[in-house]
Amino acid sequence: MCGLSAPQLKLGLIDRVARYSRYLLLLPGFVLILLFLLIPLSMIITISFFERFTIAGPENFTLKNYIAFFTSPQTPVILLNTFGMSLLACLITFLLGYPMAYFLVFRVKSARARFFVVSLLLVPFLIDWSVRVVAWLPILGESGIVNYALMSLGVIKEPLELLFGRSALLIIWPQTYLLWMIFPSYLALTRIDPDIINAAKVLKAPPHRVFFDVTFRLSLPGVVMGFIFVFVSALGDYITPALWAGGIQTLGLSVANYAANFVWPYAAALSTILVAIALLILYLLLKVVDIKKLVY
Amino acid sequence: MSKALETKELVKWYGKEVLALNKVTFDVDAGDFFVIIGPSGCGKSTLLKIIAGILDYDSGKLYINGVDMKGVPPYKRDVSMMLENYALFPHMNVFDNVAFGLKMLGKDKSEIEKEVKEALKLVGLAGLEKRMPLELSGGQRQRVALARALVINPSVLLLDEPLSHVDYRLQRKLMEDLKEIHRKVGNTFILTTHVQEHALSLADTVMVMNTGVIEQIGKPDEVYNNPATVFAARFVGEINLFSAQIKSWDGGLCYLNTEIGELKANPKNKNALSSGDKVAYAVRPERVKIGEEAKLCDNKVEAKLVSYYYFGHYMEYVFQAGNNTKIKVSVPTEKVGNLTLGSTYLLGWGAKDALLIEKPCMIEGLDIEEVIYGK
Amino acid sequence: MGWGDRLAKVYIALIILFIYLPVFFMIFLSFKSGSKVSFPIEGFTLDWYVKPPSGYEYSAYISILHDKNFFVALNNSLYVSIITALLTCLLVTTTALALRKRIVGRDLLFYLFLLGFIVPGVALGLGVTFMFRLFGIESSLFAVAAVLTVYTVPFGLILMMSRFDPDLALYEYAASVLKASPLNVFRRITLPLIIFEVISAAIIGFLLSWGEVIRTQFVMKGTGTLATYIRNELSINPITPKWFAAGTLIAIIAFIGLAIFAYIMSRRVR
Repeated sequence: MCGLSAPQLKLGLIDRVARYSRYLLLLPGFVLILLFLLIPLSMIITISFFERFTIAGPENFTLKNYIAFFTSPQTPVILLNTFGMSLLACLITFLLGYPMAYFLVFRVKSARARFFVVSLLLVPFLIDWSVRVVAWLPILGESGIVNYALMSLGVIKEPLELLFGRSALLIIWPQTYLLWMIFPSYLALTRIDPDIINAAKVLKAPPHRVFFDVTFRLSLPGVVMGFIFVFVSALGDYITPALWAGGIQTLGLSVANYAANFVWPYAAALSTILVAIALLILYLLLKVVDIKKLVY
Repeated sequence: MSKALETKELVKWYGKEVLALNKVTFDVDAGDFFVIIGPSGCGKSTLLKIIAGILDYDSGKLYINGVDMKGVPPYKRDVSMMLENYALFPHMNVFDNVAFGLKMLGKDKSEIEKEVKEALKLVGLAGLEKRMPLELSGGQRQRVALARALVINPSVLLLDEPLSHVDYRLQRKLMEDLKEIHRKVGNTFILTTHVQEHALSLADTVMVMNTGVIEQIGKPDEVYNNPATVFAARFVGEINLFSAQIKSWDGGLCYLNTEIGELKANPKNKNALSSGDKVAYAVRPERVKIGEEAKLCDNKVEAKLVSYYYFGHYMEYVFQAGNNTKIKVSVPTEKVGNLTLGSTYLLGWGAKDALLIEKPCMIEGLDIEEVIYGK
Repeated sequence: MGWGDRLAKVYIALIILFIYLPVFFMIFLSFKSGSKVSFPIEGFTLDWYVKPPSGYEYSAYISILHDKNFFVALNNSLYVSIITALLTCLLVTTTALALRKRIVGRDLLFYLFLLGFIVPGVALGLGVTFMFRLFGIESSLFAVAAVLTVYTVPFGLILMMSRFDPDLALYEYAASVLKASPLNVFRRITLPLIIFEVISAAIIGFLLSWGEVIRTQFVMKGTGTLATYIRNELSINPITPKWFAAGTLIAIIAFIGLAIFAYIMSRRVR
C-alpha cells in the first residue's frame, strides 16, 4: 500500500489548486506585462490622438499630430533613415554574425572552447554602452588612430570624415548588436539534429546544398529572431545617431527631442508610428518563418 | 477474488478527432499478472497513464481497490508505474532513484536503506548504488526503473512496454525475471506490449486491444485456442484465415464454402451459427500437415510452395492454393522433409483443428472480409 | 585541422577582435595624459584614475576614484541590475514552465511576452512616463528595474524554452507517480534539472539591464544609473579619458565577477 485508502483519501486545497498551477504560473509575468507594457503602450496610442497632455489627462481629440507627420517634408528622409539604416545594419550584422555562429557550432568541437568564446563575447557587454560607443572616437574620429595612421603614412592629406555620417552607424551598430544576431542563430543551429545533416550528405547532396537547403533553412527561426532583435534595437536607438551621426535624423531621435521639450502628443504619435513599424516587420518576418519552432 | 482494478466505460478523446478509448470496461483480479496486448496506437499506453493518474479521462469510472479515482492525483493513488524509456532521474544516482518514492512517502532513513538494498538485490543490481543513470546499460536502467517502482509496494504496478527497447537476449532474461518477481511479491502487475510472445508467456490474464476497444479478455490458452474475433485470432500467434460461408450442418460437423473449395469444421460454438452465415475459417499453421500425413485429414487442399522462412527450431512454409490464397504451415525442424520451391503438395488438417469466428472485431461496422484481407 | 577548421578559427578570432576593438582602445587610452581623446599620444598617466581633485575642475576632469557621483551611479546601477536579474529569473522560470504545455492562447501569450522586446525603448519609456504622470506615481529604482525586466524577459524566455530537455515532463510524471506532491516534484526534479537555465536567465537580466540606456533614461531620476549618468555627462561635457578609466574600472569589476561565475558554471557545462 503506498497510496491512500478510501477513508484517508481527501483532496486538500493544495491538490485542487495544483490543477490550475499552469495558469497561476503565468500570473506574475502577466501582471508585469500588463503594468509595464500594455498600459504604457495603450497610453501612447491614446495620447497621440489628443492635442495636449496635462496632469488632468489628455485634452482635445485630434488627428493633427498624424497629419503633421505625414505631410512634413522631412518625413520621407526620416523614415528612410530610420527604416533603411536599421535594415542595412541588420544585413551587415547578419553577414558578419551568422558565419560566427555557424563556425562556433560546427567547427569548434569542444564544449569548453565554445563556452569560453561565448563568455568572451559577453564581456564587452558589461562595459557601459555609452562608453563603448564613445570609444569609437579615438578610432574613427578626426584625430583618431585611423586618420592619424593614414596621414602619417601619407596616404591622405586631410582627415577622413568617418564619423559624422551614415557610414558611422553602419560600423557602430553592427559592432554593438553583433551578439544579438549571434546568440539566436547559435541557439537555432545547436537545435538541429545532426542526423538530418548526415542524411543529406548520405543522399549525395553537394556541400552548398546541404548548407542552404538543410542547415540554413533549419536555423531560420533563430536567424529571423536575430534579425528582429537587431532591427528593433537599431530602430529605437537614438543615442548612437545623436552622438555619432549628428545630422542624421531618425524617428527615435525625433521622439526623444519632442519628449525632451515636453511636446507630449506629437512625441506619442511618433512613438506609435515607430511601434507600428516594428510590429510590421515582426509580422512580415513571422509570416516567412515560424519562430515558435525555436522554442517548442 | 477481490478486484485490484475496475474500469467502467472509460472514454478518452485526444482533441476532437481521435478516440483513444471507446467505453473500455474490464477488471483485474488482485495478484494477477495482467497483460494488455495490441498494436501501436490501440490505446494501451493511454489506458495505463489514465490508471496511473497522469492523464485524465473524459467519462466513465475507474476504481482501484474499490476506490473511485476521479480527480485523485497520481501521488495519492495506490499505484506505481514503470514508464516506457524508464525516465530515470538523470541527476540522481541509482540509490537515490530507487529511494525516491520511499522518501516521498516519509519513511525514515534506515528503513529506506534496507528496502532499497533489498529491491536492488531482487532485480539483480546489488552493488550499483552509486552509479549514475548515464553510466548504465539499457538492461540495467530497466531494472532500476523496476526496482524504483516496486519498492514502494503498490497495490497495482503498471509497466508500459518494458521489453521494447531491449535486445532479444535481454528480453528473454527480463521476462523470466519479471515472472519470478511477480511470483515472489504477489502485487498486481499490469503490463502492456505489442509482442504476442510476451503476452502468452507472462500473463495470467490477457487482454487484446484494438484502437480503443477490447477485443477479448481471457487466459492465454483461451485467447490462443478460442479467439473471439478475427482481430484477436490474427494478433495472437500466426493464423491462416479464409472467408467462408456455412453450407450445411451434419450433427456437429459443419460444411463450408470457401475460396479453396469445400472445407469441414467441428467447432465448439455450434449453437451460435446457422446455415448461410458468413464466418472466418481459421487454422493455426502448426496444425496443417504436408504430404503423406495430409492424406488422412478431413480437409485436403493442393497448394504450391512459394517461399519458406527458417526460424531455428521450426520452419515456416508459405503455400499458395487456388488463385491467390496463402497458407502458412509451420513444421518443427526435425520433422522437415525435402520440399522444393514451385512444387505442388497436399496440405491437410482435421475438422476439429479449424476455428470458426463470426466477429471480425469489436469495432462496429467492419465487414468480415475487410478484416480478413485487410483494407 | 583542415583548412575549413582553420578558416573558422581565424574568422572567430577576427570577429572577437572587431567586438573588442573599442574595448582595447578604451583601456589603452584611459592611461593617456592630456585631456583630449585623440592621437598622437603624448604620454601615459594614472591620473584619470587616482589624481585627487584640486577643487576647481569641471566634473569631466575629476579622476574616477574621486568622483562621488560616479559611485552613486555605480551603486544605483548595481541595485537596479540585481533587482532586474532576480525579477527576470523569477518571471522567466514561471512563464517558461507554464508555457510548456499546450494551453488555450499559448501562442498569443508567447507573442505578448515577445512584445516586451519588440517595442522600442523610446516608445515604451515615453509610455511609462505618461503612465506615471497620469497616476501621479513617483519613479523609483524599482520601477526602473520593472521596465528593464519587461525587456529582458523575452530573451531569458527564449533561452530557457529552447533549451528545455524534452524528457523533463516524463521525469515529472515519474516523480508524481512515485508519490511526490507537486511541490516536491518542482523542488527535487524540475528545479535541479533547469537550474542552469534559471541562473542564465538571471545573468541575462543583469547583463542586459546593465547596459541599457534608453529605457532607464525615461524612468530615472536624480543621478541615475551608470548608463544615464555617463550619457548625460558625455552629452554636456567635453569628452576626456576619464570615461575610459570609468569603463575600464567597470570592465575589470565585471570581468572578475564573470570569471568567477564562468568557473562555477563550467563545472556544469553540457
